[in-house]
Amino acid sequence: MQTISAVFAYTFKEHLRHKAWLSAALFGLVLLGGAIIVSALGADERARLLLDLGLASIELIALVSVVFLTVHLILAEIESRAIYLILTHPVRRSDYLLGRFLGTLAAVALGMAAMAALHLILLSLYGWWEPLRYLAALGCMLGKISVMGALSLLLSLALTSEAAAMAFAVFLWMLGHFSAEMRFLADRSGSSFMKTALVAFSHAAPDFAHFNYRDFWHQAAPGGEWLMWAGVYALAYTAACLALSFQLFEQKEF
Amino acid sequence: MRGRWLALASALFALALIAGARMRRLHEPRFPPLSELKAGPFAFQDAMLAAAGYRAPAADLAWIHLLQYAAGSLPEYADHPGHPYEHLATLSLRVTRLDPSFHRAVLFAAGILGWFHGIERPDEAAKLLHEGMRRTPEQPMYAIYLAALAYKKEGDTDRMIALLESSFDRPETPSTMKSILANLRQSRGEHREALVLWARILESDRDRSEHARARLKIAELRGLLAKPPAKKP
Repeated sequence: MQTISAVFAYTFKEHLRHKAWLSAALFGLVLLGGAIIVSALGADERARLLLDLGLASIELIALVSVVFLTVHLILAEIESRAIYLILTHPVRRSDYLLGRFLGTLAAVALGMAAMAALHLILLSLYGWWEPLRYLAALGCMLGKISVMGALSLLLSLALTSEAAAMAFAVFLWMLGHFSAEMRFLADRSGSSFMKTALVAFSHAAPDFAHFNYRDFWHQAAPGGEWLMWAGVYALAYTAACLALSFQLFEQKEF
Repeated sequence: MRGRWLALASALFALALIAGARMRRLHEPRFPPLSELKAGPFAFQDAMLAAAGYRAPAADLAWIHLLQYAAGSLPEYADHPGHPYEHLATLSLRVTRLDPSFHRAVLFAAGILGWFHGIERPDEAAKLLHEGMRRTPEQPMYAIYLAALAYKKEGDTDRMIALLESSFDRPETPSTMKSILANLRQSRGEHREALVLWARILESDRDRSEHARARLKIAELRGLLAKPPAKKP
């Protein structure tokens, strides 16, 4: 536990000092500014536009940050050979990887929280104030980001190429939002092989379509039990990807 | 050691599958499949945003396009001479296909098609409202507008106005529809009632886009009300 918290603190500080994180945070603020300008064109629906575009900007910046940072996390250390030095210390590989992942996720979550605080202030100025629903949407977004971070880390260790890992991560992000579409196609498919393959694929890929609270909360918003299961889903999926990453990392010979 | 991580990953993945199934059972988002998106100048933008999980922002951008078209500044959808607002229904359906909860897009377009002076295509408005109702049957405004259109066809303007005014303060009512109603009252010589409606528009934060016009109209109606009534010959 002490090792994990030490690696966590080191990773968290490292990211906050990193130019990429600061640029992402600044770009997020610029996007929020853009949301104010675009929402001005929405006439009666200004608050809705500011809400949707602001949340989408926060998620987009967090997604880019988490994919970039986690893909880079271990591969950069392998490339610079710093990993040899670190692993000579009495540190379990799984603890090291977990600390690095949690530190990265905390840095991204901090950026999201800062942007969300500013966004919420802007929304309140335009007469929208539903902090509990906003927190629920933000929680679901963090869940998606956590799953994507764990998937990116797994891909970076499996593919050992930053470009390939990032491309696959983006592909999985899209596929995750296609889960409802895949089930729709499976329902209409005449071939039993296609049906089975599509259903299996829709279950194996992260189900972001059902997790996209900020996209469907204008419809009837789901209740507390749904939120609890959404939390279980995000934690279990993230932990499963991390367990596979530990497996791969322990198999690597340095 | 190796087997432990794999076993743990399998157990966690099974837990994720169970949680995912529970989530789907408790709430199913009601978005039309992507195959329902129609070809058009913005089809690629809509499909890309929807596929990346940004359906609500895609619907918001489609709403801005709808407003731009209504204001006559969307070159991708130019009207043929003598056919005003011929793409209004298409553009409002584009919004609702991306996000069926965006009721205002359908109500806005139906209001213009059904009641806008010089347009008045109630059949097209009714078709649009039926489409909106099919997607979100629980939205009461579609039924109210359909009933108001039926009164309009029968020539029962009093009941039509009364019905539309009953939904005046509902959050879904578009500001354009409110100004149409106020103008309708004014055109019937009911200046006092029209003045009250414009005052309600001015009081509402949601109708900011109509505030400038409301101020002008209030001044105009006060002037009309201050004049002594014309003597009958």
